Amino acid sequence: MIEFTLNGQVVQTDDTPDTPLLWVVRDTFKLKGSKFGCGAALCGACTMHIEGAAVKTCVLPVSAVAGKSITTIEGIGTPDTMSAMQAAWAEQGVPQCGYCQSGQIMAATALLSNNPNPSDGDIEQAMSGNICRCGCYPRIMQAIKSVAVQSQKDAAEVASISKATEVFL
Amino acid sequence: MSQPVKTRGPEGSIEKAHNSIDTANGSIALSRRNFLKAAGVTGGGLVLGVSLTGCLSRPALQTRADTLSPNAFLQITSDNVVRFYCPRDEMGQGITTGLATIIAEELDIHPQLIEVKLAGVHADYVNPGMGIQGTGASKSVREHYTQLRQAGADTRALLIHAAAQEKGVNPKDITTDNGAIIVDGARFQFGEFAEKAAKLSLDQQVLLKPSDQFKYIGTDFGRVDAVEKSTGTAMYGIDAELPGMRYAVVKHIPVAGASIKSVNEDSIKNMPGVLHIKTLPTGVGVVAERYWQAKKAAAALEVEWELPELANVNSAQIKSDYQAALSEGGEVGVEQGDLGQGFAAATTVVESEYWAPYLAHAPMEPMNALVRVGKDDAEVWSGTQMPQPMRGLVARHAGLSADKVTVHPVYMGGAFGRRSFMSHVIEATILAKETGEPIKVVWSRESDMQNGVYRPASLMTLKAGVDENGKISAWAAKRVGGNINPDMMRTMLPAVLPGLVPEGATNFVADIIESFNESWSIDSASIEGLCENYDFPNREARHVTVNHGLPLMFWRAVGHSFTAFAKEVMIDELAEQAKLDPVDFRIANTETNPRLQNVIRLAGERMKHLEVPAGHSLGFAAHGSFESDVAQVAQVSVDSGKIRVHKVVCVIDCGRAINPDIVKGQIEGSIMFGLTAALYGDIQLENGAVKESNFHNYPILRMNESPEVEVIIVKNDDAPTGAGEPGLPPIAPAVANAVYQATGQRLRSLPLTLA
Ligand code: FES
Ligand code: FES
Repeated sequence: MIEFTLNGQVVQTDDTPDTPLLWVVRDTFKLKGSKFGCGAALCGACTMHIEGAAVKTCVLPVSAVAGKSITTIEGIGTPDTMSAMQAAWAEQGVPQCGYCQSGQIMAATALLSNNPNPSDGDIEQAMSGNICRCGCYPRIMQAIKSVAVQSQKDAAEVASISKATEVFL
Repeated sequence: MSQPVKTRGPEGSIEKAHNSIDTANGSIALSRRNFLKAAGVTGGGLVLGVSLTGCLSRPALQTRADTLSPNAFLQITSDNVVRFYCPRDEMGQGITTGLATIIAEELDIHPQLIEVKLAGVHADYVNPGMGIQGTGASKSVREHYTQLRQAGADTRALLIHAAAQEKGVNPKDITTDNGAIIVDGARFQFGEFAEKAAKLSLDQQVLLKPSDQFKYIGTDFGRVDAVEKSTGTAMYGIDAELPGMRYAVVKHIPVAGASIKSVNEDSIKNMPGVLHIKTLPTGVGVVAERYWQAKKAAAALEVEWELPELANVNSAQIKSDYQAALSEGGEVGVEQGDLGQGFAAATTVVESEYWAPYLAHAPMEPMNALVRVGKDDAEVWSGTQMPQPMRGLVARHAGLSADKVTVHPVYMGGAFGRRSFMSHVIEATILAKETGEPIKVVWSRESDMQNGVYRPASLMTLKAGVDENGKISAWAAKRVGGNINPDMMRTMLPAVLPGLVPEGATNFVADIIESFNESWSIDSASIEGLCENYDFPNREARHVTVNHGLPLMFWRAVGHSFTAFAKEVMIDELAEQAKLDPVDFRIANTETNPRLQNVIRLAGERMKHLEVPAGHSLGFAAHGSFESDVAQVAQVSVDSGKIRVHKVVCVIDCGRAINPDIVKGQIEGSIMFGLTAALYGDIQLENGAVKESNFHNYPILRMNESPEVEVIIVKNDDAPTGAGEPGLPPIAPAVANAVYQATGQRLRSLPLTLA
């Protein structure tokens, strides 16, 4: 039995230790949002967060995540409680077939949590491991930038409020 | 002195074959389309007072007394759910939004308030442009535009009549607004009149809205599937599950057409989880409790193969066979005017040879299918562009009639033509029947790349002349390569003929049609786009069929994906030799094609105003396909032999754009798809086997290589034309023409590679 945390819940699996995490999450735990695209760490459709970092899980044996914390697209937000990134994706009409988009959103989310104000080059760099065969790249770029700008604004607002509060105090 | 154009080809022949086959009843009968034609009803509109499902054994929609279901597309419940059953399949092109917009416009409700469902298989959902229930050829909006508007308008009229009766007012005094019926200023929801409207029928033609009153068509409000597809909740074939389901991985034949000599079952039968090992037409199926067990066992399985003739073929030989065939006259596919006179009048003559390789589709979701076969029924989950043929295939291999098979519609993780071919569905059906268990077949990316169906390779020659007035006086084209239609027939006939006709018989029919195709006519997909668009008073397209047996299939933009490359590079070569500006030259030679001329002019204007950084060059190309016209400008730099595309401007005229932002997305996507082919795409054969296996050796354009795209949609109130494919053909020649400007190297071979 291998134990790890999946979207905040402790889970156990009897899948053989060499089974890639992707298949354990999809087939054993029935979370189908993470996708299989290449099975060779080449496309990013299977991207999840492991301890907050974006990782391609189609080649990652489940044994490697024993005791670790995994977040999938389902853990990021739901149709009723979309994350800022998911909302930007939906609003800006990013997805076409949609198949790559869970992986794209996981990669983009990890990028902004490490680098809240990325340059275009940073975004291209961080997203270059995720293929979109439908060619949604211009919109993926726009959506990530809009979330970054918005969170910068929010941060600035929080900062100015706390500054104002300081002055007031 | 325009002369008659002689075109020969089997266009429409498959439609004709399919029109007379109604698999819903498992028998050969008049389809509804022919029925309507025979009844003297033309156009796609519904006939009021005649139930849409009147000539069928069962209605498309299950319904209740309190639900209004006046046709196969709409359902309005008394608790005010407005449901649209989308007859076309969603593969990324946004058709659920597009068709919902069309029907919502006339029904008068915001498309986002409609619950959109993918329709199952039923004769009411046949694609009017295909004669079968299938999705492709950028036809969906074009073919359903009038039909669905009428369905929406009729349904609205029924609701108004019901409200008029209930409120005792004249229907003329009732209006509607975004899902509400308005009587004397009071708003009532559609659902309030559903039950009453369900009992009414209309006896006169309902007029469609004038287009200047459109509220939703032509506006942007997002996609109806955007939330599902941004939260991982959209369901694809690969996500389907059934209780007791087993996983199967197929060890596929190494070369198309190979068969199994022997299987060493002992090599894997004791591996964990392995349940069954079964031979299939396409390989050996390994069934296990879990996917990873099946995958490992299939990899370890020892099989000896019987190899076909194709196993002696390498890519180099295919090219040299094509080259040798160039000397043959071939068959004439298009012929107009007098070529001899045209060349005699020419002051500039250019002759060039162009190459386009085999390509794989590589949709993001690898092929997969879940099939359950019971004693008297079967069901299937698998994303397909061809649900009706898929039902036929399951029926055939399950030994059932088609009406016993349920197709559960799911989203496709990309298709691009690939999901018209369904050997994975056959595999799952045979395994499910033989094991008695629900079977989910999941292909690897390697199987997808190496056991698929391919965009045909093509060798093309063009010889053209320009006269002293800068007009193209002669245009002679020849294409050497394989044809898609025979392979398509081979796939489709067993699928659409009634389930119980023995396999041998359909192969027989397929072979006859193939010989018809090979010897009597030219597959229109092989030469489409090669000598069209421009004023070619004297032109000819010839075809020499050479086929080595790699199975061929439609690939986004089909023939245009290679013919536009040859044509538009040649146009650039001609303009250069004749010392004419390439844009002006195109304008001067499109006098008979004003719509294309207009997009050329607009893109040319935009080109003049582009800020081009030092070291960047521009290239231009234009092409009409799927009834739409497109011109593109590519901004390119070349750095130590590597081509980088920075920006693409695209002007498209696709008639009325139903959802302009989705059209824009389709253009962006077509450009990325076309750039992948222009810069990287190359399927190579080694001993008959496809060498490329995954994205490391069949690269797909990535974000860091993708250009900025500017899309200009020409405002046009004409009926909508294609949007999913027409953006692709011009990109490869636009880039090649830019590379020529940058380097002086004229690249005539795809993928574009600098010397
Ligand atoms: S499926 Fe994991 S990277 Fe492609
Ligand atoms: S949306 Fe289809 S692969 Fe990205």
